[in-house]
Amino acid sequence: MEKSNLRLSDGLIRQNIVLMSGIAIAPVAARANTFENGLALAFAFTLVAFFSIFICRLIPKKIVYTIRVIIYALIAGVVLIPVHLLVTLVFGEAMTAGLGLYLPILAVNPLILTKTETRFCLRPIHIMMVELLGYIAGFNVVCILVGLLRDIFVNGRIGWMTVDLGFHIPAIETTFGGLIVVGVMAGLFRALYNRSKQIKAKKLEKERRRQELIREVAQ
Amino acid sequence: MIANFISAALISIFLQNAVFEKALGINILLYAARKRSHVIGFTLGLCYIMSLSSIVIWALDLVWGEFIYYHILAPVLYIAIIGIIYIASLIIVWRYFHKLFVKIKKFVHLTVFNCAVLGALFIGSQAGADIWGYLGYGLGTGIGFFVAGFLLYAAHSRLNNELVPAAFRGMPIMVIYVGVLSLALYAFVGYQTG
Repeated sequence: MEKSNLRLSDGLIRQNIVLMSGIAIAPVAARANTFENGLALAFAFTLVAFFSIFICRLIPKKIVYTIRVIIYALIAGVVLIPVHLLVTLVFGEAMTAGLGLYLPILAVNPLILTKTETRFCLRPIHIMMVELLGYIAGFNVVCILVGLLRDIFVNGRIGWMTVDLGFHIPAIETTFGGLIVVGVMAGLFRALYNRSKQIKAKKLEKERRRQELIREVAQ
Repeated sequence: MIANFISAALISIFLQNAVFEKALGINILLYAARKRSHVIGFTLGLCYIMSLSSIVIWALDLVWGEFIYYHILAPVLYIAIIGIIYIASLIIVWRYFHKLFVKIKKFVHLTVFNCAVLGALFIGSQAGADIWGYLGYGLGTGIGFFVAGFLLYAAHSRLNNELVPAAFRGMPIMVIYVGVLSLALYAFVGYQTG
């Protein structure tokens, strides 16, 4: 159980694809500018990444990576067709149009094209599932959070709920605003992560010393 | 004809720079900006694949553009076109320029299959009026990527020095820097909020 939690938190925190490795910044920075957009992107990303990686796993290893990477991208492109229709069905046509090119580019995100090869295909299926869910959750949490923050600062609302701060920062809805928000969030996230790692290491060191002391006293 | 080409190229380099205006290809840029040779290599790869793909996509748009579900099928068709050009080019490089093939084989797929290429092809498809427009947009995106890459490369060592808090070194400060450059470009173009 502890191991499975560790694998889940790997993609969620330690190797978060937006805040840690930065391999999926574009859709978050450019289009997650409202809570609804963030939600729609997260919804689309979940379906595209999950089903694409699952199918990509079935591609024989005998095929060289040069060819496999094309097959991975094509699979993701095909998976994107029903996902596109589903996003339209759930969020409406205006939302799909609003997401624009950030919906199709989900098909060529490095989680599918690179991580499938270097990570997911090397794991047994049940471990792969847990890890994949962790990575997807990592993207989704950040995407929705960025959308939520920008919605508050730009429109003074979260979805339908009004959150009046008494001021607005309309520029945050732009791409540069998104990049700055994501950059600041990444820095703060890393600082928190490093701090928690230090605390954990200190605790372990303390525990080790205590054990040593007990052993010495026992001797 | 030539005016369309130049206009599309200039728009994609300055006004609608794929990196600064659309945040496309930032992950590739963060990797490429570490070395000048990487910036040049990625730019050449991007210019090549974008230019060739643009021509084929222009033909595809011309024939299938009116089809009602074309916008849904377009991603997979574009990926297929990029894939065919990628394989054909790799075979030629492997056959006739073997040394170059050995050099580029590790990261060539990163240059070709990324959101900068696919995203810029979509923008080009929406903005380009004729083949020259498509081609200008394709080539301009590559050059725009070089501009962004060079600006990031120039600042790379300064952004990662000890004055920057440890947690912000690397990706976070680079993304903030791209954001600030993007802000400057928005101001230069004359963007107004609200």
